[in-house]
Amino acid sequence: MIQVKQLQKEFRIHQSRAGLGGAFRDLFSREYKTVKAVDNLSFTVEEGEMFALIGENGAGKSTTIKMLTGILTPSSGDIVINGFVPFKEREDYVRSIGVVFGQRSQLWWDLSPLESFRLLKSVYKVDDTAGEKWLERLIEELDIGSFVSQPVRKLSLGQRMRCEVAASLIHKPRLLFLDEPTVGLDVLVKQKIREFLRNLNETEKMTILLTTHDVSDIEALCKRVLVMDKGKLIFDGLLSDLKEHWGNGTEVSFQMKKRTKASELRNVLGDMPCTIEQINDYSLRVQVPRSQEMLPFVLSTVMASFDVSDVKIMETSTEDIVRNIYRTDGEVASHA
Amino acid sequence: MQNAKHIYSIFADYLSQYFKTRLAYRADFLGDLASNLISELINLVFIIVVFQHVPLMGGWSRDEIIFIYGFFLVPYALFSIFFGFWDFNERYIIRGEMDRILTRPVHNLAQVCLESIAPDRIFGVISGLIIMGYAAIQLKLDFYWYDPIIFIVLSVSGALIYGGVYTAVSAISFFSDSRTGISPMIYNIQQYGRYPVDVYNKIIRFVLTYILPFAFVGVYPAAYFLRKETWYIYAAMTPVVAVIFFGIGLLVWNIGVSKYRGAGS
Repeated sequence: MIQVKQLQKEFRIHQSRAGLGGAFRDLFSREYKTVKAVDNLSFTVEEGEMFALIGENGAGKSTTIKMLTGILTPSSGDIVINGFVPFKEREDYVRSIGVVFGQRSQLWWDLSPLESFRLLKSVYKVDDTAGEKWLERLIEELDIGSFVSQPVRKLSLGQRMRCEVAASLIHKPRLLFLDEPTVGLDVLVKQKIREFLRNLNETEKMTILLTTHDVSDIEALCKRVLVMDKGKLIFDGLLSDLKEHWGNGTEVSFQMKKRTKASELRNVLGDMPCTIEQINDYSLRVQVPRSQEMLPFVLSTVMASFDVSDVKIMETSTEDIVRNIYRTDGEVASHA
Repeated sequence: MQNAKHIYSIFADYLSQYFKTRLAYRADFLGDLASNLISELINLVFIIVVFQHVPLMGGWSRDEIIFIYGFFLVPYALFSIFFGFWDFNERYIIRGEMDRILTRPVHNLAQVCLESIAPDRIFGVISGLIIMGYAAIQLKLDFYWYDPIIFIVLSVSGALIYGGVYTAVSAISFFSDSRTGISPMIYNIQQYGRYPVDVYNKIIRFVLTYILPFAFVGVYPAAYFLRKETWYIYAAMTPVVAVIFFGIGLLVWNIGVSKYRGAGS
């Protein structure tokens, strides 16, 4: 459904010189620096997939999304989506996609969402009877019925965002792009939107692409994750593989009844490949690499040998993983 | 054709939405209506008073100049109804609203025009017609049955000439990353179009005919109704010039869109 091959986008950025003299010299000769915002990106997506594009600020996510939605023209490389080349056949192509920009509004500020929907329906030439039914379903599932007739400027962010999602789906697209859809929303609204999206993906087989900084979005919605850094794709695979690959394994923290030293614990565990960290006199943290029989063994051995008052098991969160990726990549870059 | 029909149906929708939003603020709407009417009226009186003191300009009588001015107001008003995106750079490029426009299945220029539509400028058409009527009576002009049709064609052409130039100038925003200071210049030059071209020197005449063809918005078409036969060819060329210049505007715009780099984030 989405095919992206060796996609590149370069921006020429004007470097302004310092000071008044510099500004004067800029008038006559300008210096430009070429920045590769997206560098040799290739991936394919099947119909009905739900996947996330993550990366730090400036990693090239937004530029990628803008090329995928046809807003920007790529410097080189190929994109074919739903059988269209987005930037060439823009007007036909955008009929088959929906776009939500978390930072920007689709709705007319002074109109009620319902009026905006009506206007969008004529923009997209939506069939009246089928469109009406679909809209009713959107209103019901997003639970926006109670405020859909108020002017947009009087809505709260959470209410508005749900209306934005409805607006982007008015023409029943096959592919939905969401660029940071949950920025600034409270947990309940986030959950509602996520549930709605999951349902949409299941019942309509809609393909959904998400960019986000909120790791819980990904965990709740996506199986597949693409990670970008400095314009390059550095990971493309399942979320579980991402955890395997970049995760720290499992952390177990023990609270002892008596003073216990790390070396004592080490003696009991023998040459198990795990690291032991002393937090204070009574508590210790053991880091176990991801492996299925390792964890029960560590637990039972420690419990049998010491008086344990409390145990906490912590799975590495996706958030940590993302942080790990960014950190290691930073190191790679600094070596280069 | 399909496309044009679609744009037309959306135009009707946008227009009705425009009135809906305007009518939502009733006091505001009535106030605007009144102030528009008053300012047009003052304009009207002012023009007639000012031109009382201008007897002859390079072979054109006072009433003829008033007629030209009246004619000019009509395409100019049509133009300003549809091409009100003077804040294009700020609103669509810097704030990135263009992103949204580009994800909708209607030609992007049509969308930008419709979003900044200003139907209240229609008053300009009315005062133009009044001024022309006044001058026509003074000049005892005769009209044929087909003159209204010619008038509509010439007015629409004039509006398209302005529209083309304006579109091309606005499209510069796509290429440069700073604000453009070109719009005010264009506005100054377009003022020349209202007066007979032969009062200006040859260079200005050349510029206003071939480079920025604003003479086709005022003098040339008005000359047809004033039965100045020397200018008939120019008047007849007006629709052609309109097609060419609007085409150029559209072309520059489309190239601009492909160079669009979006706002950050």
